[in-house]
Amino acid sequence: MEPIIEVKGLTVRRGPTEALTNVTFEVDRGDYVGIVGPNGGGKTTLVLALLGLLPRASGSIRIMGQDIDTFDQWEKVGYVSQFAINFDPQFPLTVRELVGLGRVNRRNIGRFRTKEDWESVGSALELMGIAELADRRIGTLSGGQRQRAFVAKALVSDPELLVLDEPVTGFDPVTQERFFMQLANLNQSKGLTILIVSHDLTAVFCRMSRVLCVNREVHGATIVDGTVPDDVLKKGYGEHFHFAFHEHKCRGEFADGRP
Amino acid sequence: MEGLEILTSMFDYQFVRMALVGGALAAIVSAWIGLFLILRKESMLVDGVAHTAFGGVAVGLLLGFDPMLGAVAVSAAAVLGITYMRRKGMAQSDSAVAVMMATGFSLGMIIVSLANGFNVDLMTYLFGSILTVSRTDLLVLSALALFIIGFMVFFYKEMLAITFDEDGARLQGLPVQAMTVAFNLLVAVTIALSIKVIGIILVVALMVLPGLTALQLGRSFKATVVASTAFGTIAALAGIVLSVLFNVSTSGVIVFTAAGIFLFVAAYQRLG
Repeated sequence: MEPIIEVKGLTVRRGPTEALTNVTFEVDRGDYVGIVGPNGGGKTTLVLALLGLLPRASGSIRIMGQDIDTFDQWEKVGYVSQFAINFDPQFPLTVRELVGLGRVNRRNIGRFRTKEDWESVGSALELMGIAELADRRIGTLSGGQRQRAFVAKALVSDPELLVLDEPVTGFDPVTQERFFMQLANLNQSKGLTILIVSHDLTAVFCRMSRVLCVNREVHGATIVDGTVPDDVLKKGYGEHFHFAFHEHKCRGEFADGRP
Repeated sequence: MEGLEILTSMFDYQFVRMALVGGALAAIVSAWIGLFLILRKESMLVDGVAHTAFGGVAVGLLLGFDPMLGAVAVSAAAVLGITYMRRKGMAQSDSAVAVMMATGFSLGMIIVSLANGFNVDLMTYLFGSILTVSRTDLLVLSALALFIIGFMVFFYKEMLAITFDEDGARLQGLPVQAMTVAFNLLVAVTIALSIKVIGIILVVALMVLPGLTALQLGRSFKATVVASTAFGTIAALAGIVLSVLFNVSTSGVIVFTAAGIFLFVAAYQRLG
């Protein structure tokens, strides 16, 4: 099967420095990928380059088999940025209106919204469990609710690839766990390919199928039984790094059976 | 009863009816465009561009063509110039506005001094003159206002997407740069239209106060747009009527009414 993302020899500069050097990797359809690595290692740079929001110094990126320079199916890519929830809280937007913005793309410029658009909005809200918040202003939501609203916006155009940059920063462990489990359900039930930048290695190893460890270079590995080869993480975080997984059991099962 | 008779009889005058139509159209457009400017944190762009337009008005008066055309042309050049300076990193937003404002206004002052003043004509553009609007003025104003309203209706969702999250809109394939240029040109035209109603000095109030008032309500975006245009229209219509009734400055009363509505709504939201 054709990979959904193919990156070959990618180099990206941020100012005078090389943020990514000669990076090569692939992501298969249906993968649930955690992008990890130290601060300043180039995780966000990698995401922005994959989305065509940063210029490449060299190398190539193919999305869904198409070169990124000519890629024209951005509505099939959902993205939630690291700064998404840091919007102006006074911005007069309801959750329904926010999610509706996810249906706006170059194919429907200047067209009025259809019944199908609003039905998709309703489905995305249901999927993320925030239907009851539809008419609330986004500025009045909690951090977890905001994040789910933005994921609903990213999902409303029924994307094949979902990219999330540090979506759980500042969440309490329970909310974070619930969020990752929701995404795991989407990955399994809809076959959605998901890339998540995260610092939570436990969540990455427990919930995801692959890991990309980024520190100017990218080292990828498949996650088997909640672990990856030590050398992959050492290449990213340094030789001194040792990941201790105290109990070989993943978190995330609520006593009351909540999903 | 006498007051009511005066009130109803004023509508017999064509100049009042034309002023009400022109004022309402300009207010709707100004409030709608102004709301987007507030949300883009570019309110002061209006003040800067309006003052720059003074240069265009003076050129028009000097060379004998419609000063409104001069205002539109110079406003458009100012908006594009400010956008260019910001994008190329030549100046921060407020500095770029200050540079354009000073340049345009000084151009106007030079021309005024060369022409030994334009007396009343110039004053009508500085302080507005909706009561003296001619049939041709009204037709031009109506056509431009309807064009702007059409643009904002058809590109409502795109403009909202770009205003809320420019990077996100770019990723969704929207032509962000082209739409921003188009919007900025509409800002320039709106400012020129509003100058006719309220004058260069107070144009920022007509564009910012209604949106700011609507934002106090804390409603959805759609409701905020409706409320903003409603507040702007009420202020314009009430201002025109009251200024005729009491024979005082129209632009002054319009702004005073808009400010009064803002204070009332802000207080009601906090105390009510």
